[in-house]
Amino acid sequence: MSPHKPHRRSHRVWAATAACLALGVLAACSAPGDTGGGASDTGPIKIANVNAQSGQLSSLGQWETKGVKLAIEEVNKAGGINGRTIQLDVLDDQGDPTVGTNLARKIASEGYVAMLGTAESAVTLAMAPILKDAKIPNITSGQSPKLAALKSPFLFLNAPTSVTYDETLAKYLVDTKGYKKIAMISNNGTYGTGEHDAFKASLQTRNVTPLADEVVTPDQKDFSANLTAIRQQDPEVLFIGAEEVESGLIVKQARELGVKAVIAGGAPLGTPVYVTTAGADNAEGSVVSSPYLGNDVNDATKAFAAAYKAAYNEEAELHGAKAYDGAKILLEALKKTGGAGGQALADAIRGVGRNGLLGQFAYDDSGVGVHATQIGLIKAGGLVAEPTS
Amino acid sequence: MKRLLPLGLGLGIAAWLLPYGLDGYAMHVVDVAVVFALLGIGLGLVMGVAGQVNLAQVAFFGIGAYTCAILTTRAGLGFWVAAALALLAAVLIGLIVSIPALRVQSHYLGIVTLGLALAFLNWVTNAGVAGKSEGISDLPVPPMFGIDLSSDYLFYYVEIIVFAIALAFALFVVRAPLGRRLRAMRDDSLAAAALGAEIPLLRITAFVLSGLYGGVAGVLYAGLIRYVAPETFSIANMFLLLAMVIIGGRQSIVGCVLGAVVLSLIREVLVDFSVYAQLGYGTVVVLMVVFAPTGLAGLPALWLRRFRASQGRAELHSFVPYGEARAPEPGRVALEIREVSKRFKGLLALDRVSMTVTDGEIRGVVGPNGSGKTTLFNIVSGFYACEVGRVLLSGEDVTGFRPYRLSQAGVARTFQNLRLFGDLTVRENILVALDRTRTAWIWRYLVRPLAVVRQSRDLGRQADELLERFGLAEFAAAQPRALPYGIQRRVEIARAMAMGPRLLLLDEPAAGLNGEEVRRLAEIVRALRDSGVTVVIIEHNMGLVMSLCDRVTVLSSGRVIADGPPREVAAVPEVIEAYLGESTYLSLPGDVSQEAGR
Repeated sequence: MSPHKPHRRSHRVWAATAACLALGVLAACSAPGDTGGGASDTGPIKIANVNAQSGQLSSLGQWETKGVKLAIEEVNKAGGINGRTIQLDVLDDQGDPTVGTNLARKIASEGYVAMLGTAESAVTLAMAPILKDAKIPNITSGQSPKLAALKSPFLFLNAPTSVTYDETLAKYLVDTKGYKKIAMISNNGTYGTGEHDAFKASLQTRNVTPLADEVVTPDQKDFSANLTAIRQQDPEVLFIGAEEVESGLIVKQARELGVKAVIAGGAPLGTPVYVTTAGADNAEGSVVSSPYLGNDVNDATKAFAAAYKAAYNEEAELHGAKAYDGAKILLEALKKTGGAGGQALADAIRGVGRNGLLGQFAYDDSGVGVHATQIGLIKAGGLVAEPTS
Repeated sequence: MKRLLPLGLGLGIAAWLLPYGLDGYAMHVVDVAVVFALLGIGLGLVMGVAGQVNLAQVAFFGIGAYTCAILTTRAGLGFWVAAALALLAAVLIGLIVSIPALRVQSHYLGIVTLGLALAFLNWVTNAGVAGKSEGISDLPVPPMFGIDLSSDYLFYYVEIIVFAIALAFALFVVRAPLGRRLRAMRDDSLAAAALGAEIPLLRITAFVLSGLYGGVAGVLYAGLIRYVAPETFSIANMFLLLAMVIIGGRQSIVGCVLGAVVLSLIREVLVDFSVYAQLGYGTVVVLMVVFAPTGLAGLPALWLRRFRASQGRAELHSFVPYGEARAPEPGRVALEIREVSKRFKGLLALDRVSMTVTDGEIRGVVGPNGSGKTTLFNIVSGFYACEVGRVLLSGEDVTGFRPYRLSQAGVARTFQNLRLFGDLTVRENILVALDRTRTAWIWRYLVRPLAVVRQSRDLGRQADELLERFGLAEFAAAQPRALPYGIQRRVEIARAMAMGPRLLLLDEPAAGLNGEEVRRLAEIVRALRDSGVTVVIIEHNMGLVMSLCDRVTVLSSGRVIADGPPREVAAVPEVIEAYLGESTYLSLPGDVSQEAGR
């Protein structure tokens, strides 16, 4: 080996590196950016359904997805929109906001016209700014008041916020029934916190202070300590701000401890999962504030429930109905825009006055479409409407 | 190192040009991957390099992101001011998390740090200031001289610059003496302490570093996503992070980065099959731990070793005596042990043991098994605290000093059952001992990196000299555990001598050596003494003791039963009695007591 060779080689390496560097400087003259990614005008119309398909919130996510699919299939069977079929892609956010933001970019850059979901407010909150920047309308199943507070022109809720649920509930309990001794138990998850804050605020406007205000965690299973504290106050009403299964467990254990109070809460208490977890006897008489009081309320809900049963061989419930409503609104708006997305689609969604399963939709600036819930009672294991007095 | 420069430069340019080939979504995924890579470096430093099980890395990450979010949205601070404070907070939390590490290690430490991570998660889900479970949204876009950092493309450049600096610093630290000390501590904290490593300070340093990297990742996350919520910092993500580091190779910083990037990308690909993805990560982690414990980064070395195994064997050369000899001052006391007692529960291991070793002496300590010889060494080298009695080093009272202080005072020792740093090379083993700087010196790593490089080079030269002297030059790059026992023994003596000690304690240095090796050992010990080191040697090989030692102290049941020149001691009736039935001790050739023993 000659002594010159290594020197020559290193020289060549440096020359190559310098060339690369020069190339880099040249290229850096124009900042990189996203060029493509817009929705195309031909081929199927792409809609993303983002929900937790795995993890703790997966059952919720799967209910939502079933409702959405049902609506999309109906439209595709009827020939799609302007002859274009709707392509529904289900994306899994794992209930993680970071994954949610990744998916928001994916939706923005892969030609989706709109997004349906998620059922988890925290994930929707994380995604909202990105979707707003990309002008992609999102109809979410979240009900956190913070979603409405964003006032994003591209974010729509397919159900009332917790404020509406709990205002209706407080009005019924305090104003109509005259209860004053009210205890609260809620979890510190997004849903539970929203319920807790909204219900407490509604009580405060009526000058009622809760006797007890117990906070548990979403995965807690034993509530005896909290419920014993509540029992000592001997409340007339026990408000529960928790998801279906946890609500059921709380009620079951409350009754075992001898808490006689009337149980009250939001939509989760109107579901069969709650009733079976608590036991029909324990759940009897629970007061539920919900926009969807069951599958037999009117012809629309009956038709939806029948279609749902036919497709999935299980009973329809609130979450599926919410998601179905949201999807229907989106499809109606797409019909108006002829499949176009962006600002036009957002405006069209705002203009849809659908008489849906959850009530009459009329979107305001904050993206809330339904502004009322009804009071229902659990009777013999089923939810029945409380006649308005 | 020089060879790697073009490679690094090439990668740098590729990273710089990368955004031009990506769509918005892919860009965002890469941005998130870079954040995880930073976390991976932090976890690699604390777990892989320093050997501290840390399941709170995700909490450091969270502290960084949340502090940034709270300070910008609630206190109205500018993004970069908030970012600086967030880094400070993360470092502070790293400091706090390190406190339990001073007391507990391994899986206990894992449980403690996991508890701290859960506590953090619990706090952010419940505290109003942290936005409870809904988190904090609407973080401001970090300002940057008019560059719009809300674009993922431009934010990537901020990230990649921060990342390059962070990676370079981590690689620098790992290769520098500090990193070597951390690795030595990971492999054997006792031996590291005996070589002068301040273990508590090193553990704190490791956690502070991982806190710093967690904080940097948190700040970048806050600037990128502009939304924080508890789910991001969940235990599931901690596991993902752990998987990244284990799959990538926890002992290599580059491996940690590789693992983080690869797993982040795979996670995106598998986003629609996340149930199976979790299962997949678990399986891969188990397979990695079983078949490739050094991870992806360790695979090349694994293959290389297989290839090298077929090559020629290295040879052990003979010891080159030290040239200049310091004449011992006659009568001067090097080590004095006064009335030392040590009790383990019911057993009195040492009972008022006294012993005086003069400067330049070779002192033998013999006695049957369980007579307290090693306990005595452990007291002199600071591993045990003695309840009664004093230890004096050249007249200075060193009773109750921690091992690292004794090491700094000039006490070196070897161990009965070899405590070499298994994952370090022979040369690195020597280098750990050569480095006599205090851990507090590490501020220089931040402020004067060049001084560190210079010191590092000096140490390297000294190490090569020492290896040459001990005839170990050809084994410099070998891992000690791959070497024959006799060579490992010699490496350990070389390592002890690298500290430049005044007093050398050798605990059974001839155990497991053959006759020729014992002869060479005696030569080395004599040469060391001639260079001015006082030697105390525990040995069962009576032939060696009798021929090598100037004086012999005999222990039995924790008491000194004889003390004097070898020939005199061998004739003391108590000694013969103590040795009855233990014929191996009486292998003194031509000694009458040999027959008496049998």
